[in-house]
Amino acid sequence: MSSPSAAPDRLARFAVSPGRRRKDVIARTAIQVCTVIALIPLLLIVYYLLKKGLSSWSTSFFTTDPTGNTFFKASSIGGIKSALLGTIEIVAVASVISVPLGIGVAIWLVEYGKNSWFAQTVRFFVDVLTGVPSIVFGLFIYIVLIVGTGSSYAGYKGSLALTLLMLPVVIRSAEVVLLLVPGGLREAALALGAPRWKVIFRIVVPTALPGMVTGVLLAVARAAGETAPLLFTAGATLKTNFNLSQFMNSLPVQIYSDVTSPTPSVEQRAWGAALTLVVMILLLNLIARLAARRSRLA
Amino acid sequence: MDPLHAGHSQGRAHFQSQLRELEAHALGGLDLIIQQLDRAMEALQHQDVELAQMVIADDDLIDGRFLEVNQGILSLLALQAPVAGDLRLVAALLHTIKHIERMGDQCVNIAKMIPLSGYEPPVHAELLEALLKMGAFARSEVLQSKAAFAARDSALAEDLVRQDREINRLNRDIFRLAIEIGDDPDTREWAMHMTLVARALERIGDNAVDIGEQVAFVATGLFREFSDSSRGTGRGALPG
Amino acid sequence: MSTSRKTENVGDVDPGVPPGNAGNPKGAPAPEQAPAPATPTSDSQPIEARSRAPKKGFRVTLEGLRAFYGSAEQVKGIDLEFKPNEVTAIIGPSGCGKSTMVRCINRMHEEIPGARAEGRVMLEDLDVYDPSVDVVAVRRAIGMVFQKPNPFPTMSIYDNVAAGLRLTGRRRGDLRPRVEQALRGAGLWNEVSGRLDEPGAGLSGGQQQRLCIARSLAVDPEVILMDEPCSALDPIATLKIEELISELKDSVTIVIVTHNMQQAARVADRTAFMLDGELVEVGATNDVFTKPSDPRTEEYVTGKFG
Repeated sequence: MSSPSAAPDRLARFAVSPGRRRKDVIARTAIQVCTVIALIPLLLIVYYLLKKGLSSWSTSFFTTDPTGNTFFKASSIGGIKSALLGTIEIVAVASVISVPLGIGVAIWLVEYGKNSWFAQTVRFFVDVLTGVPSIVFGLFIYIVLIVGTGSSYAGYKGSLALTLLMLPVVIRSAEVVLLLVPGGLREAALALGAPRWKVIFRIVVPTALPGMVTGVLLAVARAAGETAPLLFTAGATLKTNFNLSQFMNSLPVQIYSDVTSPTPSVEQRAWGAALTLVVMILLLNLIARLAARRSRLA
Repeated sequence: MDPLHAGHSQGRAHFQSQLRELEAHALGGLDLIIQQLDRAMEALQHQDVELAQMVIADDDLIDGRFLEVNQGILSLLALQAPVAGDLRLVAALLHTIKHIERMGDQCVNIAKMIPLSGYEPPVHAELLEALLKMGAFARSEVLQSKAAFAARDSALAEDLVRQDREINRLNRDIFRLAIEIGDDPDTREWAMHMTLVARALERIGDNAVDIGEQVAFVATGLFREFSDSSRGTGRGALPG
Repeated sequence: MSTSRKTENVGDVDPGVPPGNAGNPKGAPAPEQAPAPATPTSDSQPIEARSRAPKKGFRVTLEGLRAFYGSAEQVKGIDLEFKPNEVTAIIGPSGCGKSTMVRCINRMHEEIPGARAEGRVMLEDLDVYDPSVDVVAVRRAIGMVFQKPNPFPTMSIYDNVAAGLRLTGRRRGDLRPRVEQALRGAGLWNEVSGRLDEPGAGLSGGQQQRLCIARSLAVDPEVILMDEPCSALDPIATLKIEELISELKDSVTIVIVTHNMQQAARVADRTAFMLDGELVEVGATNDVFTKPSDPRTEEYVTGKFG
């Protein structure tokens, strides 16, 4: 309200003017509306995923391979076992390659390259690569490893395509987190008489670890959900197959092929697979965070 | 001065001006001493008891100044933490104002002798002459100590010793004259009082030399007693 | 004790230190060229004896030291001696090069890209800049405490103090006696002995700084450099650290850079005044603050500039 009637004029300036108050309310409401608008699609997605996907979950859903039958009754269409295991295998291999490599590059950029022209060039190219559409990586591997060598689709080629996809993301996010580690820590460790490599691996990296875990998880989540690169590299197959040098099924590819099917039960399987993918990423997230918190002090 | 340091030097400039004011206030005490001394000597010369009472009363001014300077020094030490030259100056002012206060007390001692020696005392011309000369020397020493301090002039300060020797010589002469003054009890009583006056004047001279020593300390950082060759008796008190 | 929860995975044996060192006197901080301290100690000595045994700090002498950032000369030729087991303060206005000079002593200056130093820094009789000298070994003999307390955030109090030992390849084993000794030496033991597993970053500013001092002490250096160690602390914490400095000088040589002249007056035996990259005056602290010989020193300490 306006200033108390008894207050002298020089205190009047402390009262909130009605115009200010109005603007405050308008701005606050606008932001709240935006938040709600942004949340709606997210909530809808979760809702639909749960509504349509949960119903196709069953034990056989996870333990039987897709049969490829699309015209017969629902019970004989099979589950998503091969796709699930395929995704896990392909993404795991891609992570095992890209994560250490990416973190290594990030460490080099921050601790050794610093602002040299070479390091700046590397950063530039990494930035460019983060924006490259995922299908390009798939096509690259396709042309080099499939057309170029005349060989066929294989799981490991899918992993390679995903590695290329993950690498820039891991590098960039790891670099950002490493740069956030205060220089004072490095100085303190150096001044104690630690060799440089120990400073990096015993002090800097552990301090940056929680942030790096988040960055890695983001990269893994992105890779697990990409369809395009796998279409041209790992191909698709129905049977569960652990051999990386052969065709391998994966969840995104399975979803892609199921979603356009006229058979309702097959379409439903696609929803089930999508829910599975989301839940997988969620679980991965939780496990990694728990592990990070237990091994280091907060 | 760039804005970053302006505030700092503002504070320090304020401290410098405070220090200068304190010094002026302390040295101004020497002007008061001169005034007191002049009046005391005049009272002595003309046996002016009323003037002597004024001198005794006005000693309060000097004591007041002593307290003010003392307090000012404590404040500066506590709030400004002076070092180096500033610290030496502050320490010297503390000593100096004490010497000034002592000089004031000696002027009072002189003034006290006047009514004690009666309203129409017998006056011995030669003795009185010597006393007045002592007074002149003491006055000149006080003035010179002030000038030396203000100018931080060590040479001028050391020169005080020369004048002080004259005072000491006169002191001895007066003592001798008093002994030989004769048998008249009134005259002898008067002469005894006059030796006490001489002693007070001699003490004023010593205090002026002490101020000179402080001047040398401020200027050089070393404290040195300004003794002449006769260390034991030159500046020392008379026997008794 | 409850130290079983500490993360032992940081404590690998440095391949450079032969495992058979168990019973030897502590000897040189590294197998390379660092000079041996005067009083050999071993881990088998009881803690009290070791903390009370006076140890000889090293004499550090700068000869013609110049330091550059690229082409800009920040330290312009300094000859200065830091006497053993004394505290020497470096004072001077901002930007006069005092921190740079001190960082040259343990060769931290060259960690900055484009920075280099010329001249000699003598640790007793050894020139720290000699090409055959191992930088890492030098830094183990010369500890450093920084302006902003920087305990390792991912480590507990115990691990922080032990970090120096583990990072420098001390043999695996029970580091607890050394950690306790270091914490006592830093005057922090009574406050943290019951909570050694808590994170180091959870302490107050003054405690964190003492933790950093304990971390440096654990490595048993002969010299400790302090770069304005109290400027981020409150007055009580500052006084505690100043008391600590007075105690520590029995076993190490201390060089302290400070903006605060009262602090230099309180803790230092000798004080050096720097201006524009040059050494203007050095002498007993009492002399520098009561009768400095250079007029520039007089102006600076009385606050006429800076």
